[in-house]
Amino acid sequence: MILRDVLHAEWTKLRTLVGTGWLLVAVVVLTTGLSVAAAAATECRGTGCGLDAAKVSLTGITVGQAVVVILAVLTVSGEYGTGMVHVTFAAMPRRATVLAAKALVVSGLVVVAGTVAVLTSVLAGRFILPGNGFTVAHGYRALSLADGPVLRAAAGSVLYLVLIGLLSLGVAAAVRDAAAAIGVVLGLLYLFPIVITVVGDPDWYRRLRQIAPMNAGLSVQATVDLGSLPLSPWAGLGVLTVWAAGGMLAGGLVLRLRDA
Amino acid sequence: MEATIEVSGLRKRFGPTLALDGMTFTLRPGKVTGFVGPNGAGKSTTMRVILGLDAADEGQALIGGKPYRSLRHPLRQVGSLLDAAALQPSRTARNHLLWLAHSQGLGARRVDEVVEQAGLGSVIRRKAGGYSLGMRQRLGIAAALLGDPPMLMLDEPFNGMDPEGIVWMRGFLRSLATQGRAVLVSSHLMSELEDTADQVIVVGRGKVIADTAVADLIAEASGDRVTLRTSGRTQAMTVLARAGATVAATGPETLTVTGLAAERVVAVLGENGVPFSEVSAHRASLEEAYMELTRDAVEFRAATAEESLR
Amino acid sequence: MSAATPQPYRSELRPGRDGFAQLLHAEWTKFRTVRGWVFGLVAAAVVTVAVGLLGPAGSSFECSGPNGQPCGDHTPPVGPGGEAVSDRFSFVHQPLSGDGSITAEVTSLTGDDAPGVEPWAKAGIILKESTKQGSAYAAMMVTGEHGVRLQHNFTGDTAGPPGAVSPGSPRWLRLTRSGDTFTGSESTDGTKWNVVGTVTLPGLPSTVEGGLFTASPEHVVTTQSFGGAGSEGGSTSATATFDNVGLQGSWPRSAWTGDEVGGQPGGLGQAAGFQQPGGRFTVSGSGDIVPAVAGRGSTSKTIENGLVGVFAGLIAVIVVAALFITAEYRRGLIRTTLAASPRRGRVLAAKAVVLGAVTFVTGLIAAAVSIPLVGALERAKGLNVFPVSALTELRVVAGAAALLAVSAILAMAVGTMVRRSHGAVTLVIVAVVLPYVLAVASVLPTAASQWLLRFTPAAGFAIMQSMPEYSQVLADYTPADGYFPLTPWAGFAVLCGYAVLALGVATFLLRRRDA
Repeated sequence: MILRDVLHAEWTKLRTLVGTGWLLVAVVVLTTGLSVAAAAATECRGTGCGLDAAKVSLTGITVGQAVVVILAVLTVSGEYGTGMVHVTFAAMPRRATVLAAKALVVSGLVVVAGTVAVLTSVLAGRFILPGNGFTVAHGYRALSLADGPVLRAAAGSVLYLVLIGLLSLGVAAAVRDAAAAIGVVLGLLYLFPIVITVVGDPDWYRRLRQIAPMNAGLSVQATVDLGSLPLSPWAGLGVLTVWAAGGMLAGGLVLRLRDA
Repeated sequence: MEATIEVSGLRKRFGPTLALDGMTFTLRPGKVTGFVGPNGAGKSTTMRVILGLDAADEGQALIGGKPYRSLRHPLRQVGSLLDAAALQPSRTARNHLLWLAHSQGLGARRVDEVVEQAGLGSVIRRKAGGYSLGMRQRLGIAAALLGDPPMLMLDEPFNGMDPEGIVWMRGFLRSLATQGRAVLVSSHLMSELEDTADQVIVVGRGKVIADTAVADLIAEASGDRVTLRTSGRTQAMTVLARAGATVAATGPETLTVTGLAAERVVAVLGENGVPFSEVSAHRASLEEAYMELTRDAVEFRAATAEESLR
Repeated sequence: MSAATPQPYRSELRPGRDGFAQLLHAEWTKFRTVRGWVFGLVAAAVVTVAVGLLGPAGSSFECSGPNGQPCGDHTPPVGPGGEAVSDRFSFVHQPLSGDGSITAEVTSLTGDDAPGVEPWAKAGIILKESTKQGSAYAAMMVTGEHGVRLQHNFTGDTAGPPGAVSPGSPRWLRLTRSGDTFTGSESTDGTKWNVVGTVTLPGLPSTVEGGLFTASPEHVVTTQSFGGAGSEGGSTSATATFDNVGLQGSWPRSAWTGDEVGGQPGGLGQAAGFQQPGGRFTVSGSGDIVPAVAGRGSTSKTIENGLVGVFAGLIAVIVVAALFITAEYRRGLIRTTLAASPRRGRVLAAKAVVLGAVTFVTGLIAAAVSIPLVGALERAKGLNVFPVSALTELRVVAGAAALLAVSAILAMAVGTMVRRSHGAVTLVIVAVVLPYVLAVASVLPTAASQWLLRFTPAAGFAIMQSMPEYSQVLADYTPADGYFPLTPWAGFAVLCGYAVLALGVATFLLRRRDA
C-alpha cells in the first residue's frame, strides 16, 4: 500500500463528507469577519501609536483557528464515532501512513481556505485601516503583500493555521473523542494567554509567551517593534511546529499501540 | 384504562418519501401481533409515531384513548424496544435500567426483577458497550418490561439473536401474551413469527395490506388441499370424485385432493376399502402465506422493487 | 389459536409518584453512571486549582529600598472599611477635641512637575482619627480638575461645585464636627456658605487630628502593545496655599505640626513643604488618600487572580455538558429518554438542573480550595493580596461556581440545538472564552475590549471581579487590569441571558423536531 493510494482514499472520504465544505467556508467567513471588525474598531491617533497594522488586520485568525480545529479533529474522531475506523484500518493497515495521509489532506484544505481568509483579511485591512488613522502621516503605508514583513505575516498566518490543524489531528488521534479533543486543543490555545496575564515575574512572563502555542505562533504576524517580542517571528512559528509535531507523534503512537 | 393501541389514518412524509400513507390498525390485549413488511414499509416510523417521538402529518395514535405524550408514566402503559444499540457504551447495563426505572418512579428492586426475567443475570454489571447484539436485545426487553406494562412494542427483537435466543424470545413473547398483554412485534422476516404471533398486520408502502389472524391467513393460503399416497390410485380417484372432490394425479402413487377436508378423505377411503399409506393436509408456512398475500399486491411488489433500488 | 380474548393484563406494581423529582433522579443517575463525565468534572476541579497555582508560581516580589537595604513592610494599609488603601499626604495638624469647626481659604493649587497639576491632586482641610495610615477621616478639598469634594474614609466621595482655584478665584472650605457627624461647606467669599454634604464617622474618638493637607497622586501613562498594555508612572507633588485658617467653637488654637502621613518619620520641614509666613500656609505634598486599585501596575494580587484556573475548568465543564446531551443523540438514546418522559421541556429542564447542580458544586469546591491555597502561596512568596470583605469573597467564589454552572447549561442547550458534540463544544468555547482572550490579551483597543465584555457571554466573568472601580481614583480600569465594563451582577446577567435564550431555543426545537 503506497501513500498515494491512502492519500486518495482519505481525500475521497473528506471530500464526500457533507460538513467539510461548510467548515472551509466558515474558516474564511469567521476569520475575515473578525479581522474586519478588529480593523474597524482600531484607531491610530498619532505618530508612534505603536499599533501593528498587519497584526490588527489578521486578528480573525484567532477565531478561524477554532474551525480548523473542528475540521482536523473530525477527520479522526468522526471515524471513531461511527466505527468506520475499523473499515479504514482494515483497508489500510499501516496506521501511521493513514495519519500522514490525513495530515496531508487536512493541510491541503487548510492552505486553500487559510490563504483565501488571509488575503481577504489583508485586503480589508488595506481599505479600512487608512480611514482609522493608519496613514502615511502617522507612519503607516497601506498594507501590501509586496512589503516583506506583511508578506511574512500573511504567509505565516496560513502556516499557523496548518500547524494548528496538525496539532488538532494529533490530539484527536490520541484522545479519539471529538469533544474532548477540541477541548484539549482550544484549551491549549486560549488558556495560555489568560494565564500569562496573572503571571507577574518577568522571566516567567517571557518564558510563557515563548512556549504558548498561540502567543508564540502568532508572533509571526508581528511587523513592528520586533525587538520587544520574546522571540523572533519565525522562531515563534517554530515553537508551534514543535507543538504540532509533538501532537502528531503522540497521536501516531496511540494509533499504533492501542486497539482501534 | 383500556389496554389498546389505536392507530388511525397516519400519514407522514420525509422530504420526497411518503413514509406513512394512511396506516390504520388496532392492537388488542392477550395476543402477539406480528407487524410485518419489507424494510422501509413504515413499521419503525409507525412505532415512533405511537411513542410520540415523531409527529404524524395526519391521523393519530392513541394509547388507551390518550396520546402517548399525555401519559404520566408512559413505561407503565407501553414498554418499547426500538433500537437495541441505543445505549451509552460506557454505562453499565444495570445503570441503564436504573435511570429508566427512576424516570418512572421505580426503584432498583424492579430493575433486578426485569434483569431476572430477561435472563441477563451476572453480565448486567458489565458496560453496555461490550454487549453483543443478542445481549442488547435482552437488555432492551428488560427495559421494555420495567414498568410492567400491559402493552409492549418491540422493533425487530430477533435481530442478532442466536438460535437459542430466538427460541427463548418466542416462548417469552407468548408468555407475555398469555398474561393478557398486547404485544406488537415487528419483523421483516415472516418466518421469525411462525408459532409466535396470533395476529399479523402486513404493511407495505406505509399502509396496512392485511390485518388478520395467523390461523385464518394460513388456512386461506393452504386452501384445503390434501395429499394422498395410495397404491389404488384409480379407485381412489373414482370414490373421491364421487364424494365431490377434485382429484389430480401428481405422481405414480400420489394424488392431490381439493374440496374435501382430510378427515372426510380418510372416511371416504375407509368406507370404500381403498388402501392408503398417507393422508396429509397441506399446511402453508407463514412465509408462504405472506408471499401468497403479497403476490396479489402488485402495486406493493413494484414498490418494494423500487425501494430496493434506492 | 386461542379463540377467547383473555383478560387484559393488570400490573401489580405500585403506582409511582409522578413529578419533576423523578426526572431529576433519572438524569442524575444518567450523569453519575458514566465514568468519563464524572472524571471530567473531577478533572475540571483539579485543573482549576492547578492552573490557579501557576499565577503565584510565576510571580515574585523583589523590593530594595535606598542604598540596597531591604524594604520594609510593603503591605498596603487597610482603611476603616477593610479595603486596601493608599494613605500618604502632607498634613499640617493639631489635636482637636469635641465639637467645633475648621475653616480655610485655598488660594492656589499647583503641580510641581512638568505636566502641571494632576487631575486628582488634592488640598484642603481634614479631620482624621490619627496620623496612622488607614485611619478614619473626613475631608473637604479642592482638586486639580474635579472641583470641590467632600471625601471620607477613602471610598466616600461627594462632589461639590466644579472649577479650579487660583488667587483670583479662591475657595473657602469648612468642616464642622458635631459628635459623629461631619458637615462640609464651601464658599467663594467666606460669608455665603453652601453645604456640600454631611457624613457620619461612627466610633471616632473625641480627640482627632485636624488641619490642612496636600496630596498629589502618581502620574499614569498607558501604552498599548501586543502582549498587553503597560503602564508607566512617576510620583508627582503639588503645592497649595491656604489663607484665613481658623478654628471655631470649642477648638482653641494651639501650635501646628507638620507631618507626612505614610512618609519617613521626622515630620515636614519648613523647606519640605510647610511654611507659615504671616498666617499664610503653603503646604507641598505627594501621595494620595484613596482606596487601592488593582491592575497590571499593582504589586498586590486580587483574589480572582487565584481563580485564573476557572478558565481551564470551564473548558472541561463545557465538554462534559455538551456530551451529556449530544451522546444521547449520537447513540439514539434520546428516543429512549423521550419515550420514558414524553414531556420534553421537562426533560431538558431536568438535565439543566442536574448539570447546573453538579457543575456548581464542582466549581464551588475548586474555587473555595483555590483562593486560600493560591493566597497562601502568594503570601509565602512575599506578595500581598488585596483584602476584600467576606461578602465579596463569597460572591467571587460562588460566582465562579455559578459561572461554570451557567456555562454548562449554555453548552447543554447549544448541544441540544446542534446535536453534535464538536459543534457545541467549539461554539460555546469560542463564544465564552475567546472574547475574554481578545479583550485581555490582544491588540484590540480598550473600547473594543469593553464592547466584547459587555455584549458577549464573556461578560459573565465580571462576577469574579473583587475590586470596585472608583470614580475618584484615576487608573486604568481596563479589562486587562481586571476591571469589567459591567458590574459583577450585570455581567453575570448577560451570560445568564444567553443561557436562557439558548435553553428556550433548545426547548422549542426539541419539542418541534422528531426525535
